[in-house]
Amino acid sequence: MSATGVRPELRVVTDSAPPSPDAAAEAPPGVPFLAVDGVGKDYPLRGGGSLRALDGVSFAVRPHEICVMLGPSGCGKSTLLRMVAGLDAPSQGSCSIGGARIVGPGRDRGMVFQSYTSFPWLTVRENVEYGLRLHGETIALAEGAGEYFLDRVGLTKFANHHPDQLSGGMRQRVALARALATYPRMLLMDEPFGALDAETRWQMQELLLEVVTRERMTVLMVTHDIDEALFLGDGIVFLSRNPGRVREILRPDFKRNGRPATKEAMYDAPGHRELERHVMQLMRDEGKRA
Amino acid sequence: MTHATPHIAAPPAGAALEGGAAPTVGRQLSVDFKQVLGGTARATLGAVGALLFLLTWEVGSHLYGQLQLFPPPSGVVVALWRLFGEQGFAWDVWASLRRILVSFGIAAVVALPLGLLMGAFPPLRAVGGPLVSACRYLPATAFVPLFLMWLGAGEEQKLALLTVGVVFFLLTLLIDNTLAVRTELIDTARTLGAGRRQILRTVVLPACMPAYVDTLRQMLAVGWTYLVVAEIVATTDGIGAMMMRAKRFVHVDEILAGIVTIGVMGLLLDGVFRLLHYRAFPWLHHAR
Ligand SMILES: Nc1ncnc2c1ncn2[C@@H]1O[C@H](COP(=O)(O)OP(=O)(O)OP(=O)(O)O)[C@@H](O)[C@H]1O
Ligand SMILES: [Mg+2]
Repeated sequence: MSATGVRPELRVVTDSAPPSPDAAAEAPPGVPFLAVDGVGKDYPLRGGGSLRALDGVSFAVRPHEICVMLGPSGCGKSTLLRMVAGLDAPSQGSCSIGGARIVGPGRDRGMVFQSYTSFPWLTVRENVEYGLRLHGETIALAEGAGEYFLDRVGLTKFANHHPDQLSGGMRQRVALARALATYPRMLLMDEPFGALDAETRWQMQELLLEVVTRERMTVLMVTHDIDEALFLGDGIVFLSRNPGRVREILRPDFKRNGRPATKEAMYDAPGHRELERHVMQLMRDEGKRA
Repeated sequence: MTHATPHIAAPPAGAALEGGAAPTVGRQLSVDFKQVLGGTARATLGAVGALLFLLTWEVGSHLYGQLQLFPPPSGVVVALWRLFGEQGFAWDVWASLRRILVSFGIAAVVALPLGLLMGAFPPLRAVGGPLVSACRYLPATAFVPLFLMWLGAGEEQKLALLTVGVVFFLLTLLIDNTLAVRTELIDTARTLGAGRRQILRTVVLPACMPAYVDTLRQMLAVGWTYLVVAEIVATTDGIGAMMMRAKRFVHVDEILAGIVTIGVMGLLLDGVFRLLHYRAFPWLHHAR
């Protein structure tokens, strides 16, 4: 319980470690942190030829911003996120973070997947500390970093449990804490709460918002839930499909004076209802096009 | 439509009283397909099955009448008593067990690293895969003349046969185990900054270990099936050698005793592996 409050400092021993978590803050305001530049992706088809999943997608994410990718199923959201993570390579264009082109995965970009990805042979604490231990040679294990993030996601009591003993929501919290524990510059999430029931889902959304605001994280996340997009997104990139293109980029006006901390606060905010209707209209259009 | 029928009708008043008991709906199965039996129920049913078998055998043997050719289970027990008590059969059992353990150990030491690496790295799999698959179809017993020429009639020849009998199947299954690792786990490790070796050591290996132990357990049973063949040729000790000796004197009870001993030994080793699985991978055995 001693881990509350102060975030433990990460001591970087060699220069191969990532820049400090506040590197993003050093960039002048307005300068994009993540740049997605004319990205296209072709998948070869079995009978020859290829399927264009994404076509000329460009957008930018500013430091400390939560950017949400929204769009109908199959529009290429996961594909794009995996390219930012460095797990797949774009066919055209490029993604860059802090000016550097992304060519592979790295611990500067933490990822939370839609499916459960806790390592079942490790305890909850070992799962959270996994990334830190990997780099034991380059980073002196931040004293209590595991404890701190376990506490942030409310799992201190379950530190010595195995993931199989946890509920779905708790497992996604483990994945979130694990991704945060290496102090990534950017957090990537692919429908992290898709498998959760409604109540757990909005609790997780509020938790995420709190942690991300507090840690001043930059986030790129995927959802096809309008409510989630409006609640979490400082910017919303709406993609259309066949092929995946940017249809519209939205910036919720009601967040001008800060993010609403709860769903209720968001529902009460002026302009929320109108934006929600607008996004629903976009979704309906996409449905007709299919 | 002159009158509306309610979709869900209340049971007529007094319906429960007419038959004496409350009415029931739905069809109950006396035996459920995926029924989970309790420990005692399972043990009891298992014992009943074994007893039925032994009883049928005992009665059948006495009805047949020629007890030397077709001895009853009680005769086999007597033979076991004699073998262990007077003929030093424990040494034979130990000799066979040692052969099984040594040969299986060699097979495991060869197949485990290869199974891990070939499962994890597609180029390695492409190089070795066809060869391993082909070798699986070669009957191990066909190697006996070859091993006799190369290794003589001693211990090495028996160990070689027992090893070759399992190693290719073992390797194939271990590669499949390795291929079954979820890609998301590897991707997760990569986004946390893991390199190739770290992924192999901290993700693929621990993820595969439980399946590896299960595969070893199952292939050990196959190892026992080659034992008698291996011990037929110029052998003085071992369960198989005892059985060949017994055959010469038409001691069918001793042959059956040898078969029973192999079965029991297999069962015991199987139990050891199950215990190992239980101890080494506690997270797979949590009662939720
Ligand atoms: N490995 C692959 N091989 C071939 N086609 C693929 C592959 N991965 C994705 N696709 C295709 O690319 C398109 C976009 O897929 P993607 O999974 O990125 O969509 P998505 O927006 O994440 O959908 P959902 O909301 O259902 O998760 C789809 O048409 C899909 O069939
Ligand atoms: Mg997807």
